[in-house]
Amino acid sequence: MDFLAALIPLLPFLAASVIGIGMLLGWITGEKSESTTSTISIGSASLSTLLAFALLVGDLTGNGAGTYSIGQWLHSDLLQVEINFITTGFNVYLTALFAILLLIATRFSVNYLHREIGFHRYFFLLNLYTSAMLLLVSAGSTVGTFIGWEIAGLCSYLLINYAYDRDVPATNATRVFITNRIGDAGFVLGIGLSFFYADAVNWDDLNNIATQLSMPTATVIALCFTIAAFCKSAQLPFSPWLARAMEGPTPSSAIFYGAVMIHSGVFLMIMLQPLIEQAPFVMMLLAVTGFFTAAYSFVVGWTQTDVKSSLCFAITGQIGLMFMECGLGLWELAAWHLCAHAIVRCYQVLASPSFMTNVHGSPVKALSPHLQKIHWLYVASIQRFWLDPITDRVLTRPIKGLGEDLNFFDDYVVDRAMGDPVSSSRSISTLKQLEEKIKGTETLGDTPRHFGRGNGIAGKLMEWSGNILGWFEERLVIQAIGVNIIDLGRTLGHAANTFEELMLKPRYIVLFVFVFLLIAGTR
Amino acid sequence: MSVTDFPLLSLIILLPLFGAIVTSVIRNTGLAKLSALIFATLELALTLLALCLFDKTSGDFQLTEKLAWIPFLNIEYLLGVDGISILFLPLSALLTVTVILASWNAISYNQRFHFALILALQGITAGVFTALDMILFFFFWELTLPPLFFLIGLWGIGSQRRNAAMKYTLFMLAGGGPLLLAIVIMAANHATQVGGNFPQDLSFSLLALLETPLPAEKQTLVFVLLLFGFAFKAPLFPFHTWLPTTAMEGPTHVIALLAGLKLGVYGILRFAMPLAPTAAVEFSWILSVFGAATLIYGGLIALQQTNLRRLLAYASISHVGMVIVGVASLNMQGVQGAIFQLLNFTLIASSLMLIAGFIQRRLGSTDTVHLGGLAKVMPKLTCFYFLFALASFGIPGTSGFPAELLMIIGALTSHAVFGTAALAGAILGATYMLTFTQRAFFGPVTHVTVSQAQDLKFREFALLCVPALLILLFGLFPGTILSINQIASETWLARFLSVPTVL
Repeated sequence: MDFLAALIPLLPFLAASVIGIGMLLGWITGEKSESTTSTISIGSASLSTLLAFALLVGDLTGNGAGTYSIGQWLHSDLLQVEINFITTGFNVYLTALFAILLLIATRFSVNYLHREIGFHRYFFLLNLYTSAMLLLVSAGSTVGTFIGWEIAGLCSYLLINYAYDRDVPATNATRVFITNRIGDAGFVLGIGLSFFYADAVNWDDLNNIATQLSMPTATVIALCFTIAAFCKSAQLPFSPWLARAMEGPTPSSAIFYGAVMIHSGVFLMIMLQPLIEQAPFVMMLLAVTGFFTAAYSFVVGWTQTDVKSSLCFAITGQIGLMFMECGLGLWELAAWHLCAHAIVRCYQVLASPSFMTNVHGSPVKALSPHLQKIHWLYVASIQRFWLDPITDRVLTRPIKGLGEDLNFFDDYVVDRAMGDPVSSSRSISTLKQLEEKIKGTETLGDTPRHFGRGNGIAGKLMEWSGNILGWFEERLVIQAIGVNIIDLGRTLGHAANTFEELMLKPRYIVLFVFVFLLIAGTR
Repeated sequence: MSVTDFPLLSLIILLPLFGAIVTSVIRNTGLAKLSALIFATLELALTLLALCLFDKTSGDFQLTEKLAWIPFLNIEYLLGVDGISILFLPLSALLTVTVILASWNAISYNQRFHFALILALQGITAGVFTALDMILFFFFWELTLPPLFFLIGLWGIGSQRRNAAMKYTLFMLAGGGPLLLAIVIMAANHATQVGGNFPQDLSFSLLALLETPLPAEKQTLVFVLLLFGFAFKAPLFPFHTWLPTTAMEGPTHVIALLAGLKLGVYGILRFAMPLAPTAAVEFSWILSVFGAATLIYGGLIALQQTNLRRLLAYASISHVGMVIVGVASLNMQGVQGAIFQLLNFTLIASSLMLIAGFIQRRLGSTDTVHLGGLAKVMPKLTCFYFLFALASFGIPGTSGFPAELLMIIGALTSHAVFGTAALAGAILGATYMLTFTQRAFFGPVTHVTVSQAQDLKFREFALLCVPALLILLFGLFPGTILSINQIASETWLARFLSVPTVL
């Protein structure tokens, strides 16, 4: 019975592979192949759904073993990652629910995307995503869930980028993926730390050992996973990515950000219930962040003028409430909330293109007059609490600036210090140089030629020692100093000034703190 | 350690060298190219045969061959492979075949010499991977320079190609000095410990040197010298400046070879650390700091690049930093991940560079100013580019993921700080690759040259398929790689575990 769990994500993966290979080799192309693609997609999604329900019945009637393992995926010393699945409880309910929602969205897309240029690409990605999501909710190990997590994120990137020949989707997709990458780093850190502290790669092992972990350890591990969850479920401070992600085709928005993927953060928290209960701080963080995200979404939602944006903030708001429920210890409620929300949102987002016709003639209810008077709240709502500009200011720009400075440093300091034989080899490589040579106006050759000329630290040292020896050879000719030393002093002073200015920039102060921590951490 | 009768490894070294001679002698250019391809394919077959004969349950050196070379100084012609080095042979041979195919029509003059040099380089590289005598290793190590000097200087695409070739050679020569000095110190130490008779008791064999541990004070010196020597080729900060220059000036398929074969890191793994184990354990944290610094430094600079070739050069530097962090973590996960990632380079970094070459050939530039909207015009090329880009920042399903996961877990286990640095590097990796992808491949087509560009031809498509499939294969079944180097990694690691830790 339990072996079905392995087939559920495998079938859509095979469908994606068939469509992908077909596209690459030119077998599946154009409108005439649309029926092939849709048959494959719907077939695999239906089979997965049937299997998921079979598994659900098996679990409800008590015929399931609880876990199923195919075998080892990765093995290195004590680290042993298996390809295994959880075939009981919440995971199975969610697998069944998500499978059917994914099937519905797939069927909806067949008509919605008819005669679109990217039809086959869309279905390739949708199948891959179906597979990833079903793996995410059924995988038994942290690594397995992460694989689903990451591939779902990649599909999200590629579907936001569905109209890749326009600038806006491409920019948004990149930004969404990079924001999510921060959460992914938290997840990997969580995987690493749970292996390090608890020798646990499987969710069951981690939860079983959770009660034996000390509170700080449990807090650190839980915190890593919490960051990942906040990021994936668009909680504060990561919320802005969701509005950018609505760029993709509507059915994909419904299934990614309405029904399925957006809930994976809450799912992760519910999975880790025993661990998180060991960490009161994380519980508090969940409740507080959830509350603030709900409040933020509520306020920003007021001023949204299009359907997709309104829905987007409604979604983050509801999910914020789910996190709050988790934080308050109402795990069961959060689980029910998740399932109910997934179903309602799937319908709402799928139906959003016809929303305008449906509500024609019934105007939107105005905001209460008390709230209308609070102007700062209105501005904040319009500006979405300045989250994007703040991120730019605090994170993006300093990193970019650091990159610029390092680039300059590499070109003008490191490269020169290490030496570069460009000027010393004096080969003629451009036509201009050749002409100059013929005319005798060579710009490279106007300095007197020394026998040995060096570049960089090593080169200069050689050159200097050579010069000193030459100087002795010429029987200690007295050289005049004076002008040179003043020039040198001036140059040095200038360099020191620039250095001082650079060092006072906040990004370097932060950098020094990091370097200090790095060194302090190693000793 | 068993001495087999059939000199398979010698054949692997000599066949391409012989092929190089044949290729340069054949008068007809077409036939010469064909002979180069045939020899490269034969070489690939031979290396696969070596892989089949290899017994992965043993941690010893296998397929060894031993002949006296300079008897007076006890220098031997000693070859052998273990689980760490065996996989480099087929992958480097595959890379050579790929590079020959990629440059099939790209060379405008003196084609015979070009293809002969590429074959010769393959033979010499195989020598570097199999040599177990330090002098023999050094011989092959330095012998890689002449072919590369000519390949970069003669067929480069930048106007400063001669200078780039000169810069590359000078940098590599600078690394050679410390290397030779360290080798001599170790050989002399062996002589003193065994009997003190010079030169009869000298030994340059890696196996013998591993058995005669250096005194602690000499270990530090030898370790630093070896590290210094290998740091140039790796390249580690601040000895990396040759790579961006070469990437901009050299021919892309040769840069693909340079980026794919990380001989410097291999040297650190094979020689620098095991030969001075106490120093390696003591200074592993310095090595980690260096690795982490290179990782972040390369990544941040890569963020600023607008040219794909230069970006890939800095990305390559950043990835080397991560491998060093993995190696320096001195645990199974870190080391196996590092070896895995080194093998990945021959598939991922080199394929990305070859794709950059395809773009360069079509549009005359790889700078974002001249690109934009490539995905619309060249969907197949974009697919491959994207797959390799995903692999380079470790998306699950590609071989980059297990390697990166292992290295990060290894680093976290040794020092949490370095694991975090490695994670920051992974975020940066996604950022610079995707930002470039967005600018160059997505968005509207703005240049006429781009709109007229041709998608991948069948030859190019076919040659990219092999690394793409291998990346997916190793990504889905990482056990295929890990099982081969598992025992060897355990043996490698055991040398350090016997050393009392100072941390």
